[in-house]
Amino acid sequence: MESKSFPGVVDSLDELRAYVGELSQKAGLAKKATYSLKLAIDEIATNIILYGYEKVGLVADFKVLSEITDQELIVILEDEAAAFDPLAREIPDEEDLTMALEDREIGGLGIFLTIKGVDDFSYEYVDGKNRNTFVMNVIKP
Amino acid sequence: MKVTLTDQEEITVVEVTGDIDSKTAPEFERNAKLATEKNEKIAIDLTAVEFMSSAGLRVLLMVYRNIKSQNGKVILVGVSEEIQDVMSTTGFINFFKIVETTAEAIVILKQD
Repeated sequence: MESKSFPGVVDSLDELRAYVGELSQKAGLAKKATYSLKLAIDEIATNIILYGYEKVGLVADFKVLSEITDQELIVILEDEAAAFDPLAREIPDEEDLTMALEDREIGGLGIFLTIKGVDDFSYEYVDGKNRNTFVMNVIKP
Repeated sequence: MKVTLTDQEEITVVEVTGDIDSKTAPEFERNAKLATEKNEKIAIDLTAVEFMSSAGLRVLLMVYRNIKSQNGKVILVGVSEEIQDVMSTTGFINFFKIVETTAEAIVILKQD
């Protein structure tokens, strides 16, 4: 597994997306799949940075672990914040998403886009660390 | 990310350049709010925006509500295919008119 660390601040998001772009290119992901993965990782990293780190005054890095196989690109965000399962919160359903914008709740869009955008998303808490795993299928021509 | 506001008679054009994420969204929000305070007809030009996260969608939601409450109108310009996909998945697309150029947006906004 390849590993790269980023400081847990919103200033890292640009560089994080660029790095995900490089990994996607190496894995041979299509343009749309690359965008969806960038978006998913940006959304989860944002939550980690804003709520896991900055809100509680935790100054730490987070890690991006990755692996490219014949069939998949696997990216794992690993952070040291308190245990937080993004899948445990309420995720907007079809009904919420057809609601008029004036009546909408604002939360949950990020996790919704994450789940919709990747082929598999999972969360686990291992050895005192949150691990958010994103999997994209690689379609070989 | 950079935001420029330009007034064209009764219309304010908000031009955004760069990515809209949780770092840059507050600056986009501040300018978009300013635009809705100046005019009830606004165009948001996203031609030079490659990436927009849910933080940007939240700003669009705020703009939509502000404009709606003053019976105004908002048009989005030059929205990339990827961002349109995201707006479609989240149901935002039905609430915004999207055109290719700022000139087109201004013609439509002037008509009402």
